[in-house]
Amino acid sequence: MTEPSKTLLMVGNPNVGKSALFNRLTGGDAVVSNYPGTTVDYTKGLLVVSGREYGVIDAPGTYSLEARDAAESVTVRLISENPGAAVLVILDATRVERGLYLALEVIERGRPAVIALNMIDAARDRRIVVDTHMLQKILGVPVVPTSAVTGEGVRDLAEMIRKAQKADIEKVRARADGRFNEPERSGGCAGCGLCGGC
Amino acid sequence: MALPVQERWDLVDAIARKTVTAGIYRQNLGDVLGDLTVRPLTGIAVAVAVLYAFWSIFSSFAGTLVTDGFMVKAFDDYWLPWLQEVWPDPASIHYFLFVGDPLAENCFEAFGMLTSGLFVSIGVVLPAVLIFYLMMTILEDSGYLPRLAVLMDTVFHRIGLHGYAIVPTILGLGCNVPAVTATRVLETRKQRFIMMTLLAIFIPCGAQLGVMLEVIPDAVGWVMLFLLFGFGIFGFVLDRIIPGSNPEILIDVPPYHWPLWKNVAKKLVNRTKSFLKDAVPFVLFGVLAVNVLYLAGVIGALADLFEPLFVTWFGVPKETVGPLIAAFLRKDLAVAQLSAIAMTPYQMITAVVLVSIYFPCVATFVVMLREGWKELAAAVAVLAATVFVYGGLIHAVGILMGVA
Amino acid sequence: MNRNTSMVTLYIGLLGLVTLAFGLADILAWAGMIQSVSIGVLEIAGDDFFRWAWGGAVMVFGGLFMLGSLMSPGTMERSAKAILGAIMVWIIAGTDIFARLCESIPAGEEAPEFFNSVAGFIGGFAPPYSAAVLLLPFTLVIVYFLFNRKSDEA
Ligand SMILES: Nc1nc2c(ncn2[C@@H]2O[C@H](COP(=O)(O)OP(=O)(O)O)[C@@H](O)[C@H]2O)c(=O)[nH]1
Ligand SMILES: [Mg+2]
Repeated sequence: MTEPSKTLLMVGNPNVGKSALFNRLTGGDAVVSNYPGTTVDYTKGLLVVSGREYGVIDAPGTYSLEARDAAESVTVRLISENPGAAVLVILDATRVERGLYLALEVIERGRPAVIALNMIDAARDRRIVVDTHMLQKILGVPVVPTSAVTGEGVRDLAEMIRKAQKADIEKVRARADGRFNEPERSGGCAGCGLCGGC
Repeated sequence: MALPVQERWDLVDAIARKTVTAGIYRQNLGDVLGDLTVRPLTGIAVAVAVLYAFWSIFSSFAGTLVTDGFMVKAFDDYWLPWLQEVWPDPASIHYFLFVGDPLAENCFEAFGMLTSGLFVSIGVVLPAVLIFYLMMTILEDSGYLPRLAVLMDTVFHRIGLHGYAIVPTILGLGCNVPAVTATRVLETRKQRFIMMTLLAIFIPCGAQLGVMLEVIPDAVGWVMLFLLFGFGIFGFVLDRIIPGSNPEILIDVPPYHWPLWKNVAKKLVNRTKSFLKDAVPFVLFGVLAVNVLYLAGVIGALADLFEPLFVTWFGVPKETVGPLIAAFLRKDLAVAQLSAIAMTPYQMITAVVLVSIYFPCVATFVVMLREGWKELAAAVAVLAATVFVYGGLIHAVGILMGVA
Repeated sequence: MNRNTSMVTLYIGLLGLVTLAFGLADILAWAGMIQSVSIGVLEIAGDDFFRWAWGGAVMVFGGLFMLGSLMSPGTMERSAKAILGAIMVWIIAGTDIFARLCESIPAGEEAPEFFNSVAGFIGGFAPPYSAAVLLLPFTLVIVYFLFNRKSDEA
C-alpha cells in the first residue's frame, strides 16, 4: 500500500458496541443504547493517531452486506460510496460467529480491514475465550480485543488502524482448514497483518 | 471474489471452531429473572408493572413536584402579576401579543408569548420531557426494550407490523421526530408506512403528555384509551388495504446490563439541550403566530367556516379551531390552549384526541418528508380520513354513553 | 437444611397470599365493591383508576409470582419468581413513597413560600400507608433468605 486510507468505516452487527467504540475513538457523541437499531443513520467523527487523521464513520448495524432494511442499506451504500476506505469490523466477542459472516463479506470485497473484538469484558464474564492470535492468523487481518465500556484495548486498536489489511478469501479458507504453510508473501510472513504488510 | 452464502457460513463455522472456546457457564439468578421478563405469562405482568412505574414516576415528578409544587406558584403569583404591572398599555397590540389577557389570573389563560408561552415550555413541558427521557434512557440502556418487542410481536403482527415496532412507538412517546427516523429498522415499505402513519396520528409526544397531565389529569386515561384503540383499529385496517409484506424477523435480544450513568447523563443532557434549542422557540413562536392570526381575524373566520363540522360532526365548540391551528406548530401548546375553552369533560376528551390525531407537528412533518414525500402525501390522506372518521366515532360513542 | 427450606416455603406462601389479597382489595376498592378502608396504619383509598386498579393488578401479579414460585421446578426458577414477586411489591411501594416525597417537598398551593418546612416535610410521611409500603419490609426478608441460601451453597 502506498498511502494510508483516510476514511475509516465502522461496520458490525447491531448492538455490538460500534457507537460506544466510535465515541471512544473520536470523542464523538453517537447515541449508545442497549438495543439493536439505535443507529439508523451514520455519524462522522475525527480520529488522530500517530500523526494521521481519519474520518471515522459510525454506520448503522447490519448482519450482512445484503441489506434487509433501510438502516442496513445506509451501511451498504456507505461501503460502496467509500471505495478507498479502510473498514473496521466490530465483532461481539460473546457471539463471534454472527459477526464473522459480515467480516468475511468485507474481506471478500477486497477491503483493507481491521477487526475489533469488542465486549471482551463481557466475554470474559461469560467464560468465553477467543483465540485472538489464531483468528488473526486465519483471517490475515489485525484483530484487537477491546472493551468500549472500560476502554481496554482502544488505544491498541487506534494504533492498529493504519495496518488495515486486505486478505485473500481463498487463502483464508485454506488457513481455516489448517493449511498455514502456503507462502503468503515473499517475506514468508504468516499473514498476521501485524507487520503492516509493506 | 465472493463466496456463495452457504460456503461462507461453512467458513464461519470452521473459523469459529478453531478460535472460540466457550467455558462452562452457569446460569445465574439474573439470567433466570431476565428470562421471566420475556416469557408471555410472566412477561406481560412485568410489562404492566414497568408501565405503571413509568407513568407513576412521570406524574409524581413532572406534575406534583415541579409543575404544581413550584412552577405554578412562580409563574402565577410572581411572574404574571409582575409582567401585567410593568408592561405598558394593556390595550395595545404588543400587550396582547406578549402578555395577553390583562385580567388573567393564571398563565394558562393569559395566552401571551411571555406568559403562556414561557409557562407551557419551561414550567410544564421541560420537567415532563426531562423525567421522560431519564426513564426512557434507562429502559433503552438496560436492554428491556427488545424484550418488550419480543412480547409484543404477536400483537403487532395483527396490525401489519412486528414486535420491533415497539421501539419507534415508545420513542414516539418522547418525541415523534426520532421515532420517524427509527422506523428504518422495519424491513418493508409497507411496514414503514403503517408505522409512520400510526406514529404521526396516534402517538402523543412527551410534551403533549406533560400538558395533558397538567390540564386534564382526570381525562388523560380516556384520551390514551381512545388513542390506543385508534392505533389498533387503524393499524388493522391499514394492514388490510396496503399491499406489501410483513416478514417474520428474529428479534435479537441483547443481555441485560446496568445502565452506565455516564451514558445516561450524556443522553439526558443532549436531549434536553435539543429540547431547549428546538422546542422552546417553537412554543413561543407558536403563541405569537396564533395571537397574530387571531388579531387578523383569520381564526375567527376559520372557526365560522368549520363550525358545522366541529359542532355537529365532532361535537366540540367551534373555538377549538384555534388550538387545531396551533397544533400544527406544537401539540403541547394546542392542549394548553384547549384548557382555556369552556367545554364539557367529554368534549374536552374529544378535542384533545382530535388535537393528537390531527396533523403531525411541523418538526415531525419535516422528518417524514425527508423519509419520502410519497409516503408523506399518503400519510396525510390517511390522516384526514382518520380525523374525520374517528372524530365522528368518538362523538357517536359519547352520544351512546349519554355523555356528549 | 430441610426444616429451613420448609420455613422459607411457608413464609413465601403466606406473603404471597397476603399480597394477593391486598392487591384484590385495591382493585375492589376502586370498583366500589368494598368501602375505602382505613384501619390503623393501613389505607386503601380506591379513589383513582391508575393507582388502585392498575397498581392493584401489579400487586396481584406480585402475589401470584410468589405463590407460583412454590410450584416451580428447580431452585433457580423458584428464587427468581419469588424475587420477581417481591420486585412487584417494591415497584408499588417505591412509587408510593416517591409520590409522597414529591408532595412533601413543596409547601403547597396556599402557603406563600416555595419549600415545605422540615416538620411539614416529615409530616408528609406519616401513616396511614398503602398495603405495598407495609409489605415492603416483609418482602425484603425474601432477599435475606436467598442470600443465606447462596452462602450455604458456596
Ligand atoms: N460489556 C460491554 N458492553 C458494551 C461494550 N461496548 C458497548 N457495550 C454496550 O452495548 C450496548 C450497545 O452499544 P452501541 O454502541 O449502541 O452498539 P451499536 O448498535 O453497535 O452502535 C450499549 O448498552 C453499550 O453500553 C463493551 O465493550 N463491553
Ligand atoms: Mg450504534
